[in-house]
Amino acid sequence: MSTATERHTLDARIPDGPIDQKWTRCRDEMKLVAPNNKRKFDIIVVGTGLAGASAAASLAELGYNVKAFCYQDSARRAHSIAAQGGINAAKNYPNDGDSVHRLFYDTVKGGDFRAREANVYRLAEVANNIIDQCVAQGVPFAREYGGTLANRTFGGAQVSRTFYCRGQTGQQLLLGAYSALMRQVSAGKVQMFSRHEMLDLVVVDGKARGIVCRNMVNGEIETHAAHAVLLCTGGYGNVFYLSTNAKGCNVTAAWRCHKRGAYFANPAFTQIHPTCIPVKGDYQSKLTLMSESLRNDGRVWVPKDVNDKRPPSDIQEDARDYYLERRYPAFGNMVPRDVASRAAKERCDAGFGVGETQLAVYLDFKRAIEEQGRDVIEAKYGNLFHMYKKITDEDPYQVPMRIYPAVHYTMGGLWVDYHLESTVPGLFVLGEANFSDHGANRLGASALMQGLADGYFVAPYTVGHHLANGGLKEVTTAHPKFKETAVEARNRIERMLSVNGKRSVDDIHRQLGNIMWEHCGMSRSAQGLSTAIEQIRDLRAEFWQNVRVLGNGDSLNQALEHAGRLADFLEFGELFARDALQREESCGGHFREEHQTEDNEARRDDENFAFVGAWEHKGDDQQAVLHKEQLTFEEVKLTTRSYK
Amino acid sequence: MTALSSSIGRKFVMGLTGLFLCFFLVIHLAGNLLLYVGPEAYDHYAHTLHEQKGFLLFAEVFLFTAFIIHILLAVRLSRDNFAARKVSYAKTSSKKGGRLAASVIAPEVWMFWSGAIVLGFLICHLGDFKFEWWWGNEFASSGSEYHKASIILRDPRVLVVYCIGSVILGVHVSHGLASAFQSLGVNHPKYTPVIHWCSIAFGWIVAIGFASFPIAWALTESAATH
Amino acid sequence: MISPVKKNLSLNLRVWRQPSADIPGEFRNYQLSDISPDMSFLEMLDILNEQLVESGEEPVAFDHDCREGICGTCGVVINGQAHGPDNETTTCQLHMRRFADGDTIVIEPWRARAFPVLRDLVVDRSAFDRIVQSGGYVSVRTGQAPDGNAILVPSQDQEEAMDAAACIGCGACVAACKNASAMLFTSAKVSHFANLPQGHPERKKRVLAMISQHDEEGFGACTNTYECEAACPAAISVTHIARLNREYMKAMLTSKE
Repeated sequence: MSTATERHTLDARIPDGPIDQKWTRCRDEMKLVAPNNKRKFDIIVVGTGLAGASAAASLAELGYNVKAFCYQDSARRAHSIAAQGGINAAKNYPNDGDSVHRLFYDTVKGGDFRAREANVYRLAEVANNIIDQCVAQGVPFAREYGGTLANRTFGGAQVSRTFYCRGQTGQQLLLGAYSALMRQVSAGKVQMFSRHEMLDLVVVDGKARGIVCRNMVNGEIETHAAHAVLLCTGGYGNVFYLSTNAKGCNVTAAWRCHKRGAYFANPAFTQIHPTCIPVKGDYQSKLTLMSESLRNDGRVWVPKDVNDKRPPSDIQEDARDYYLERRYPAFGNMVPRDVASRAAKERCDAGFGVGETQLAVYLDFKRAIEEQGRDVIEAKYGNLFHMYKKITDEDPYQVPMRIYPAVHYTMGGLWVDYHLESTVPGLFVLGEANFSDHGANRLGASALMQGLADGYFVAPYTVGHHLANGGLKEVTTAHPKFKETAVEARNRIERMLSVNGKRSVDDIHRQLGNIMWEHCGMSRSAQGLSTAIEQIRDLRAEFWQNVRVLGNGDSLNQALEHAGRLADFLEFGELFARDALQREESCGGHFREEHQTEDNEARRDDENFAFVGAWEHKGDDQQAVLHKEQLTFEEVKLTTRSYK
Repeated sequence: MTALSSSIGRKFVMGLTGLFLCFFLVIHLAGNLLLYVGPEAYDHYAHTLHEQKGFLLFAEVFLFTAFIIHILLAVRLSRDNFAARKVSYAKTSSKKGGRLAASVIAPEVWMFWSGAIVLGFLICHLGDFKFEWWWGNEFASSGSEYHKASIILRDPRVLVVYCIGSVILGVHVSHGLASAFQSLGVNHPKYTPVIHWCSIAFGWIVAIGFASFPIAWALTESAATH
Repeated sequence: MISPVKKNLSLNLRVWRQPSADIPGEFRNYQLSDISPDMSFLEMLDILNEQLVESGEEPVAFDHDCREGICGTCGVVINGQAHGPDNETTTCQLHMRRFADGDTIVIEPWRARAFPVLRDLVVDRSAFDRIVQSGGYVSVRTGQAPDGNAILVPSQDQEEAMDAAACIGCGACVAACKNASAMLFTSAKVSHFANLPQGHPERKKRVLAMISQHDEEGFGACTNTYECEAACPAAISVTHIARLNREYMKAMLTSKE
């Protein structure tokens, strides 16, 4: 592939001019669809989380005909709902010196300089509008006694810029977007398809023109045509089987689009969150995250002696190793997520882990309770302690919590340009499903911000530009491409049902998760990654020969749904490992054992790896091809993160 | 009338009529307590009341209307509510803490049936006192309401029916009174617990109050025979 | 602190099996052994399904997604109690340590005319969506919003709004109510907006429309037994139903429409 083509296909369409004028300029220059013409355009939105619901509602308000799809039984249940902490915006209400530029800078730096500057700046810019929009919708953000909006600090930021609704910010923001969406459904501008799973993208004349999906209640394979398709289908953390994602979260929609021509960017960039409840037994189906605010007062430790298996209360102070305080005296227990996670893994790998499985470290509140009193700790973390007790049956006021890192968020995703348009024209990708804003590591309280920014304030403009650009001839589902793609989807389902092997879908998925966690988890090596690629291939082959999916395709069949998702994870997992293998550096959530300093810290390589790795699918029997979008940093200076 | 077109509207009217009926119970009980004061007091009260023909007619029509609305709505609501479940559970169990077997004996669960029993009691009661269906011309001679009441209350069948009726009525209103406030939208952290306990107390008062008359007369009767 | 050794459980399950909405269902009995008390209820069902697949019987369909108690997808009636014996707990957060060795557990779907069973334990709750569609929103278009602090909200009002807005839409209130009434769900939405100035312009229209939709869907009326409150995993209080009643009558008596 020539460099000329590369540059052509990976044109990020970043507007010229100073960074703080790019978005304004871009909007000024975009083409518009006349009001009475908007109703002539159909738009498909897949996924109804923050990005999808907000985009579908906003586009419908503009007058487009929107069809929205989700696999859940209601649009209100997308996994955005589980976000606890909050949403950032540089309102500077606390008067503590915050600004759009600071929010932008923090996000780029937090992402370990692997995000696109222009996108991040726009994100920081529109964040304020998000807060206004949500307040107007009736989102019950926390308030000061005087009635103004309250802020809190979050994720180690030096300013207070996080807006929150108790510990349920994601839920409230999603319900706000959902209510806007429901309003458009009742206005007849959005047609809602819940319990529908997208199985493929229909590309006609090189443009995204529709989808194939399965009605999960009666099994019918449906086709829907449109002038543009918006993919808002979230992340792929469940490739690890165990993650903090909802059980249904999957890569299928994104992966199918990838196979139809959309490049997949930075798949290896995964965030592993340090404060989760550890795995308990091999029946475990799901990991639960506890807010990282716990580390504000909790102290992380393991026994000093590798053979010390006494209960924690019997281990005296001098026999405890507060390893974060030891290794990072300046930040102590408050080091960023990626650093804390790796340090826990390092201790457990060395045999110091605690609990039955020895894959856990203690998070101890004894000193905090002694110093501040139980009441204060209860006021701060009561709900988290309650949740912990409910799950583990242990009282964290009496015994230290046990925690271990877990897969939480995926920074990688389909490659998009400044317009959020993928390499397939007419296919837009929003929210966690795209790669654009978080680089190699995401800061707390910025996932909600990105989802809503994309949906409320970016896509409504850029999608309009695409539609106004012309060249979209009328296409209906009668087009042979729709028939063809639907037949392929149906065949895949038939094939899965006909294997009739010995292993359940869950069983194979669990094994894939083990491979991924072992070799593509918190620390990665060339050797491990190569092993993973081999193992994933073998497992994929086994899946198609030995999976057992009972029942038929014409009814509600949850095992079949899961099998389809797993089939795609088994292909995607390989690309994930390949991307991690290609990135010969350590940055953010991506840690390569070969690339660390003497004291085991990440070593980034800006000279050779300051690029977005975007993978092109070349066919099922061929290796994907890597395209590089070089990242240029004009506004921020590249620095090494240090927490010593 | 539009109020009756929705579930909330129906409950609202149910609550209003219920409250009015509770108010009537208070008046009725207060009047009846004069039985304990003596024949003169009671007869005086009864005669004064019966002389207000216009008022009495108005009150009776009003009361009758409230009863009919209350009953018709109960039938309508119960029918709708039963249909809303469609398929019943193989097993049900209350999640409300504190009271054992809350779902079996709690008044709120069988309001329709307690109401139906109260209706039966009411018919018996009217048959006794107002229409004198079962009493031939036993009261004709005296013209004293006290005398009439004494005859009725002495009857052992009345003792059984009135005791059961009064207790069920008490159970019915012990939930009904508080429930009416909720249906009318009155719920406040300060006052709702008070309303709740008052409602239960009211239930006891109604049950004991009305049941006391046949019991008292039965006791005097047995004392007299010994 | 030494935790007592927990014994694994053997259980008899009586599970509602129904192939689809139009085919009648029945209870079927299954035996499970070696269930760890630390498992969640849904993990126990996962094990059951693994066992069923192995024996060639189709797995039990049950709704679930986040498995951390917030998405509102899961929910079954366990021994006659919506979401099982614990208060303020969704089915996914219920753990097997609440059960004893040898227990028989009856597992049924939510039962309501407005929630038809789709398969086994999976029901169709789209009636809730339609109630929200009828008026559970503030009519504001993207981009129309004034500055967030232009609307002041007393923190107590905001707290009360948040109490109501915490509803996860799981349907346990309907399942637990002897009348299959969705008043707790509907009141949560109405109360959320009634507590905030943003909700006031559409206050009357909203409550009238939502109640009309509620009734049309075939939910029953509230008879103040408060089982909904006890079953609600998000601790939504029946005070919101009182507020709903108030809002409704006020709207009905004063609305010009």
